[in-house]
Amino acid sequence: MTNQIELSGVNKYYGAYHALKNIDLAIPKGSFVALVGPSGCGKSTLLRSLAGLETISSGDLLIAGERMNGVPPRRRDLAMVFQSYALYPHMTVEENLTYSLKIKGVKKAERKKAADDVAAVTGLKDLLSRYPRELSGGQRQRVAMSRAIIRNPKAFLFDEPLSNLDAALRVHMRKEIRTLHDRLGATSVYVTHDQVEAMTMADHVVVMRQGIVEQHGAPLDLYDRPINRFVAGFIGSPAMNFIDAQSSADGRFLLLDLQSPQVLPAPASLPPDQRVVVGIRPEHLRPAAGGEEGLEFDVAAVESTGSASYVTAATSPEIVVVLNERSAIRRGERVRFAVDTRQIHLFDATTGQRLDVP
Amino acid sequence: MSDTSRDRLMLVVALAMAAIYLFPLYWMYVTALKSGSDMFASPPSFWPTSPSWGTFAYVWESRNMGRYLWNSIVIATGAVTLVAVLGTGCAYVLARYRSVWVDIGLFLILMLQVLPASLMITPIFVGFTQMGLLEYPRFAVVLAIAAKSMPFFVVLVRATFMAVPVELEEAAQVDGNSRIGAFVNIVLPLARNGILVSAILIFMQAFGEFVYSKSIIQDVSLQPASVGLNSFMGPNTSEWNNIMAYATLYVTPILAIFVLLQRRIVSGLTSGALK
Repeated sequence: MTNQIELSGVNKYYGAYHALKNIDLAIPKGSFVALVGPSGCGKSTLLRSLAGLETISSGDLLIAGERMNGVPPRRRDLAMVFQSYALYPHMTVEENLTYSLKIKGVKKAERKKAADDVAAVTGLKDLLSRYPRELSGGQRQRVAMSRAIIRNPKAFLFDEPLSNLDAALRVHMRKEIRTLHDRLGATSVYVTHDQVEAMTMADHVVVMRQGIVEQHGAPLDLYDRPINRFVAGFIGSPAMNFIDAQSSADGRFLLLDLQSPQVLPAPASLPPDQRVVVGIRPEHLRPAAGGEEGLEFDVAAVESTGSASYVTAATSPEIVVVLNERSAIRRGERVRFAVDTRQIHLFDATTGQRLDVP
Repeated sequence: MSDTSRDRLMLVVALAMAAIYLFPLYWMYVTALKSGSDMFASPPSFWPTSPSWGTFAYVWESRNMGRYLWNSIVIATGAVTLVAVLGTGCAYVLARYRSVWVDIGLFLILMLQVLPASLMITPIFVGFTQMGLLEYPRFAVVLAIAAKSMPFFVVLVRATFMAVPVELEEAAQVDGNSRIGAFVNIVLPLARNGILVSAILIFMQAFGEFVYSKSIIQDVSLQPASVGLNSFMGPNTSEWNNIMAYATLYVTPILAIFVLLQRRIVSGLTSGALK
């Protein structure tokens, strides 16, 4: 598969501030890539650099095989959906949709037809003569999407397009955007701070922090094998539990630093007395059966959503357990939770890097 | 005190203030219609007993007001055009770029606004004389007024541009427009009201401008109506009805424009641009 967008050694400085640090990234044609990270991580800067709204300081940016470093936005043939939608308030929906075609010099009748076609797909047919101020948030979002679709661009860039919608509509639009992407066979780059959006929508997730790409890969790979403590904590909700620990003298056990010392079998034999951080996802802890080994602690709180129960342990650091069933566990009880050793993640105590278990 | 009675009291206060403020205007209209004896009646009458409409035609003819008003229009239009063309670009740049230099620039611009015309006229006059600009006195006045009004225009229009979200321009650029194209097609239409309002305010200012015109334009045939009105008044003037008729003819068109465009001046435009 050919790469639609390729970045190699891309740097971006704002004065002395190093916003993007040596980014290498290849986005295959037809794939849906999510850029995700906490605010200020550089994901929006990266997207704006793709669009040409920011110029990169060094490195190479290729779109469909052409070097695009200094090319102005209008010659990049990319479509962008803005967080604020950025609809032209003095134009009707139809004029908004066809503005790019008008600049290209497409005839009026063809423009009208193109607008009708797109509107039929996105459900805007009855709204074409309205002004943006007369639309609801969801409708404006659709107009912004349609304005991108009508151009049939080399790639779609999304800058947190769903963050202004309410929760129910967001879940709905998530699916809709992904469906549209598949139908159009488009290449999409999607910026979000919401890891759930990234995990559910993308083929490929790029996790960024402080201007560098921490890890990128298929969503479940990131979930299963996070490369460091940051990615492990960022992907997954509720976040992974981290517990400081030390390997035992024979390297076969982990001695956990909870208030009372607790022991877990190590996933593999470790060097003796090594300091590590143990990561366990809340959903990987389950009530221990019979004489099973595990972590034993007092329950500080139980919250139930009906479909799942969130058990918080009275330990320090706090441990959260998610149970996907009704639970009889009550506050104040002492409960033992077991975990599959293959689902234990180990990180270096100082660098935070994943310790690979052979 | 209940809410309604407080509202009523406020209304009465507002009306009283408006009445005080607008009284000179009323007095101008009334005096213009009075006859000679009415004018000097004591106590003064607040309503002309026999309005003499003929005064207007007489003043228009005898004072050659058509020529004066034409000069006023030429000067005001010239100044507004110059300010709008140069000031719009300037305001846009000051709205879109933020740096220490922009702040210094804005401060200097505001400083210019502080200096009164009567202070500036002497250096301007000397400078214009040396450059030979006094050969074209109306153009010289246009230049001087434009320089004087520019800061006001720039500051107002800059605020208008700042209300236009940058994303709209970026969207236009991604949609295939150049930077200039985005400015002309997207930003200008959205800032139109603000620019129009500022231009009208400056037009009205320039239309009534006196200090520069009086000092720079010696040739009577090129003087604007404000200077014409001034030359009407002397130390021994007693024809107040004629002077007021002149003032009425001078001011009423501007008032009419203002009243007609007032709704535009108030309305906003960018709603619905963002979420």
